[in-house]
Amino acid sequence: MLISVVLAPADPLPDVDPLTAEVRTDRRACRLSPGDAAALELALRLADGLREGGAAPRLLAVAAGPPGHDAALREAAALGAGVLRVDRPPERPEDAEYEAHTAEALAGALTRGGDRPDLVLCGAGPADAPGALPAFLAHRLGFAQALGLLSLAPSGAGPGGGPAGLTGVRRLDRGRREVLGVPLPAVCSVEGTGAEPRRAPLAAALAAAGAPVPVVQAPAARPRVRAVSVGPARPRTRPVPPPQGDAHRRILALTGALERTERPTVLGPLGAAEAADALLAFLRRHDHLPEAEG
Amino acid sequence: MSSADRPRPLPPAEEPSLADRMATVDFDVGARPHITVDTRVCRSCTTKPCVTACPADLFSPTADGGVLFNYEHCFECGTCYLVCNEAGAISWGYPDGGRGVVFRKG
Amino acid sequence: MTSPSADDRRPADGPPPPPVDLGAAAPSERVDGAVAPRSTPSAGDRAAPLRFREPEPGPGPGAVDAVVVGAGPAGAAAALELARAGRSVVLLERGPFPGAKNVYGGVIYPRVLDGVLPDWREEAPVQRWVVRRSTVMLSGERAVSVDVRAPAWGRPPGNGVTAYRSDFDSWLAGEAVRAGARLVPSTTATGLLRGPGGRVAGVRTDRPGGDLPARVVIACDGVNSLLAREAGLHPGPRARHVALGVKEVIALPRDAIDQRFGLSGDEGADFEMLGCTGGIPGGGFLYTNAETVAVGAVLSVEGLASSGRRPEEVVDGIKRHPAIAPYLRGGTVKEYAAHLVPEGGYRHMPRLYGDGILVAGDAAGMTLAAGIWLEGVNFAIGAGLAAGRAAAEALALGDTGRRGLARYGRALRSSFVLADHARLRGAPGLVLSPRVQQRYPGLAADLAQAAFTVDNPAPKPGLARLLLRAARANGVRLHHLAADAWRVARVFR
Repeated sequence: MLISVVLAPADPLPDVDPLTAEVRTDRRACRLSPGDAAALELALRLADGLREGGAAPRLLAVAAGPPGHDAALREAAALGAGVLRVDRPPERPEDAEYEAHTAEALAGALTRGGDRPDLVLCGAGPADAPGALPAFLAHRLGFAQALGLLSLAPSGAGPGGGPAGLTGVRRLDRGRREVLGVPLPAVCSVEGTGAEPRRAPLAAALAAAGAPVPVVQAPAARPRVRAVSVGPARPRTRPVPPPQGDAHRRILALTGALERTERPTVLGPLGAAEAADALLAFLRRHDHLPEAEG
Repeated sequence: MSSADRPRPLPPAEEPSLADRMATVDFDVGARPHITVDTRVCRSCTTKPCVTACPADLFSPTADGGVLFNYEHCFECGTCYLVCNEAGAISWGYPDGGRGVVFRKG
Repeated sequence: MTSPSADDRRPADGPPPPPVDLGAAAPSERVDGAVAPRSTPSAGDRAAPLRFREPEPGPGPGAVDAVVVGAGPAGAAAALELARAGRSVVLLERGPFPGAKNVYGGVIYPRVLDGVLPDWREEAPVQRWVVRRSTVMLSGERAVSVDVRAPAWGRPPGNGVTAYRSDFDSWLAGEAVRAGARLVPSTTATGLLRGPGGRVAGVRTDRPGGDLPARVVIACDGVNSLLAREAGLHPGPRARHVALGVKEVIALPRDAIDQRFGLSGDEGADFEMLGCTGGIPGGGFLYTNAETVAVGAVLSVEGLASSGRRPEEVVDGIKRHPAIAPYLRGGTVKEYAAHLVPEGGYRHMPRLYGDGILVAGDAAGMTLAAGIWLEGVNFAIGAGLAAGRAAAEALALGDTGRRGLARYGRALRSSFVLADHARLRGAPGLVLSPRVQQRYPGLAADLAQAAFTVDNPAPKPGLARLLLRAARANGVRLHHLAADAWRVARVFR
């Protein structure tokens, strides 16, 4: 059985220019999202379980991106996976079909040399993409798909000691859980809360340190849908602390109720120059302008 | 309200709050707390210098005289154990490898 | 390579790491464009994927020659020298990449790399070349500064540069990797392995199966150096000899930085400030990167704790000072950071070596906080290079015990690393003394203001009288001035 994990390291805190909405990522700070980490961990657990059952599962971790992704792949290699990187430039084009292209490139890498994965695991909710990649992958590979899973377990006995299918658990609203029977081959995406990722042993991390990661080139993109325009990215929302003081006072402060305000002053019909002088004098009187010079 | 007669001058441009500043920092929070505070010891501490000295403001005094500590947004600097005058109140260490603060423009 | 001496014998600790083929599960056909590692003369046998230099036969089949803890400037420099000497060296880093845990307060002086990485001027990730160096005394709303501008610093051979530590430390560690060192990031060293007689025989890490036996350990694990403490070389930092650096990196358009600081191209400026820390012993700094400026304060931890003030309030005070605020106006905070700085100087350094262990960089307290000179990264690199060389020589002679490693101490004493610290050993005490911190900035500002105030028709009172008046107003006696002048002459001799 061949289990493939698609990893998508991303910068969790990119710099978004508030004026131009230009997004700048730090290539070194790119790391696995919780979903990716859980996908890798679930793949390792599945492989462990199959190995105990006497099967010989293979594990392949694939990432599509620049050489900066190699660090994440080396950690996967140290955990016992084979690794492969599909070379893509670090800049994300503002392309409506970016994830479709990525799926195309990944599918090519996953099925190199006539190989065919039995299970492709992805992280749900990537940090820097809409999250349609697993669906595109399933479509391209002609696999079943089950998305947003919390856990995944083998079920039944299939050929070669592998399972016939998988049982996945998915969260629904109002606290319900849905148990899915997933036939193989399948593409599954995993939520970040599913499994705490393990760490690679030191000896394996040493062996993987500095080792070259095999690279394949992505096929040229053939866009079918063209992006006509793209809205600006927005800075991420940020939790702010609850306001101080009691609600009554805050409402008073916000509305200005009970505050003594100055009544409007009517200075009578004035010429433009006198009106400007009167306004400036008012602003000076209230410290909104520095005192008159000279 | 006497101040209404003469509105206060506009305040100078405000510095960003500490929360705003902390929001600029990248933390890859690990599952294991790398610093623990024995709040029983803190109850006998009168000065609690950690509360003001911690640059990330992670120590909060509680009503019962103890200290509440949150390891998640820690700079891993070491100020807290250096200023702590109650031996043993803070057990200090580094987070698991790869976790914790990630400075990009240090 | 000579065979290791008998005192290197230690129990075998697991088999050597099995070679892993990273592409194992990938289809067996040739993958096009596979990254070939950059081979260097000293690391020619690393050309094949994942074949690294096997440890020498002898004690500890899993042992490497050296493990360097911490991939900062000191650790990277040590690993570089060891790898170039043909030794198997592992560089451990607890951050996800070198520099991820590091913060500094201004300027790197990389001339120390001239003999080791002659191309650093082209290759190091420099933000700006410092051609303007200002020492500023702030008092109330006033400022008195000594502003030095030397355009030659921007041309070869260069002098000081600003850089982001994530860039600079990653670059330097990358050079060590190119020379053949193995960098293992995301790995925290949690303790020391001990061999016969209690000698240090490697490190424990927090990874599964995480014991890493080594013939020599170089602890470059930063200001809190848990390893130097465990080795008994260091009682641990003390609040009175350590300062807290707090820094904000503020984004501004490149043009605005050039105009405000009077720079052009990749020229940079560095301001060091005194008298801006509200009575807490320490100082402030402001320096330029390409498209950000960094502003912050370095505060004595002991003084900070007893003041009851919050560190970011002190930084706010600096940012609001009329002499500083115009440089920062309209900027956006991009990153807030804090880190400890060892400031004890020569008198409070730990022992620098023990049985099987060397200490370098911040772990050894090697930052110079001597008033007009504020340096650290260059000392870390210098000490790291010396540690790497000393360890390589000791390994070649087969004696990595205390006696074999004593050459490290001798090398440091004859280099700038300890010579500068020894020469300026009185400086931290002088610079952080209450008069220098709290009275002299006011005195200088009073004197300068009075000297340049023209209140005609009154005649000029004469500088001597102004000095007396300023001294009295700031509570400084003449004999204090004389004593401190004598102290300055002695400390900075």
